[in-house]
Amino acid sequence: MTKNININLRVHRKKHGSNWYRINRNLHRDIGYLCIGFTLVFAISGIAVNHIRDWNPNYSIVKKTAIEPKLIHIDNEDEIIDLMLTSFKIINSVKANYWASEHEFKVFLTDGSNLNANLTNGEIELELITERKLLKNINSLHLNEAKAAWVIFSDAYAIMLIFLAISALFMVKGKHSPWGRKGGLVLLGFAIPLFFMFLS
Amino acid sequence: MVKFFYGLLVAITMSTCVQAKVYEYGEAVDSSQLVDISRVLERADTYLDKPVTVRGTIISVCEKRGCWMELSSDAKFERLRIKVRDGDMVFPVSAKGSQAIAKGQLHVINLDLSQTKRYLAMLAKRKHEDFEPDSVTEALSIYQLIPTGVKILD
Repeated sequence: MTKNININLRVHRKKHGSNWYRINRNLHRDIGYLCIGFTLVFAISGIAVNHIRDWNPNYSIVKKTAIEPKLIHIDNEDEIIDLMLTSFKIINSVKANYWASEHEFKVFLTDGSNLNANLTNGEIELELITERKLLKNINSLHLNEAKAAWVIFSDAYAIMLIFLAISALFMVKGKHSPWGRKGGLVLLGFAIPLFFMFLS
Repeated sequence: MVKFFYGLLVAITMSTCVQAKVYEYGEAVDSSQLVDISRVLERADTYLDKPVTVRGTIISVCEKRGCWMELSSDAKFERLRIKVRDGDMVFPVSAKGSQAIAKGQLHVINLDLSQTKRYLAMLAKRKHEDFEPDSVTEALSIYQLIPTGVKILD
């Protein structure tokens, strides 16, 4: 009788232990799946904004120049605009214009592009602006331009990442467990940021 | 438990799906309080560090971070820079040529002579113009508006 009770207790403990282990694994798996989209958004835009000095992740800006000698002799604003547009065969309508100086005239087009004319040498520069739609949108999420609503999700994502990090410590048993030799990788993950904190 | 978790996620998603308006930032602006940019710049000392609302055409925008834009003045060749801390407001480059109303405080950056020369040299380089540093004999003060609210009209 006593022997039976002991066996039952061992089975119960074993069952209880493996349940815990299974719940941890299942949650780690499901939350991991949920985090795929969030991680791609933050990782891709992270690379994009890290290199913002080298390239513009939000807009493609192409500049073209043309020389129009007639510009030097024209005073009439409408004629200047016509000449600027025809130099690049532009059919977009004009949104606004601006005299930056006595010899520098800007024309803004409805598609967001603009033209700059230098009236002393007849040089016209066309600045074609195209939005990188996908990157711009994910960058705006990364930099939290969406504000209040996105804060809830990015906080939830941060909490899920904390869970994934901690639950990963209890995912694997045996020689590949982080509590064994693989613990070196865990320590390395702490050491790299600590090294840079020390440097700064 | 898992069903509850997914249910909660859907509920949060639905409740936060209201998107902020794309071209309105910060506090609401009041277009009845407008002051001409030329007046603000002419009497800068009067408006310094006080709330002021201005309107103008957006003539340039920070291309990479959208952290500043310049509004044309009602006076020829004049402009006023609207400057925010990175990420507080992000002005779209494609808004160039649109009208904008900005409410905020006027700030001044007083440059010394060597800073003025470097600043003017940078502007000249940007415009591919020649620049002679010795021709500058007076230090500049640069005025900019730190906005609490901005509305881009079209």
